[in-house]
Amino acid sequence: MKIMRVTGLLGATLCVLLSGAVMAGDPEAGKIKASTCMGCHGIEGLTNAYPTYRVPRLGGQHAEYLVDAMQAYKEGRRQHPAMRANVANLSEQDKRDIAAWFASESGE
Amino acid sequence: MKSVIAAMSVLLLAISASAQAADLEAAETLANEQCAACHGPTGVSQNPEWPIIAGQHADYLARTLRQYRSGERQDPLMQGVAAGLSDEDIRNLAAWYARQDGLKTKQYQD
Repeated sequence: MKIMRVTGLLGATLCVLLSGAVMAGDPEAGKIKASTCMGCHGIEGLTNAYPTYRVPRLGGQHAEYLVDAMQAYKEGRRQHPAMRANVANLSEQDKRDIAAWFASESGE
Repeated sequence: MKSVIAAMSVLLLAISASAQAADLEAAETLANEQCAACHGPTGVSQNPEWPIIAGQHADYLARTLRQYRSGERQDPLMQGVAAGLSDEDIRNLAAWYARQDGLKTKQYQD
């Protein structure tokens, strides 16, 4: 009986850990998935055309905000044709991984 | 005579430069009143739902504020704040936040 309870507890803990891992986003996976993003966001001072303004810096930004930003482009809450196209086919996990990469310490 | 002309030129240059430069003191006051409660005292927000704006490019920040002001970008909180900002306020705030320590351009090391 005691063994059952311990097993149950371990199972529950494992579930929580696994769901945490899925939620969190993996910066190493994100680094690879972000290769398209880095073509613009990885070049210091690169400008958007047209209108002309510098492409925003994302290094060190909150991951949660970045996931929402990508979702906003997908849903049309934020308007930017290139961004909309780039996020269109990203899964939830892709977005979390990419966000985790940009949120992690810059220059890694 | 030459030195007088030189001195006048320097003075004129200084005046035109200061007219165009952002008023960072005004920006800091405005930032404390309007922005700091959510974005933190220097633009490094503690709530992960709200973006860090410290160190962001000034032209991007200014464009974003103008988009909120016009309603092109929608967010109930930000549209409310941006509605009360003049072009000069926006220019000043964008310049001030761009100078704070925060965001960096993320780069591949190799």
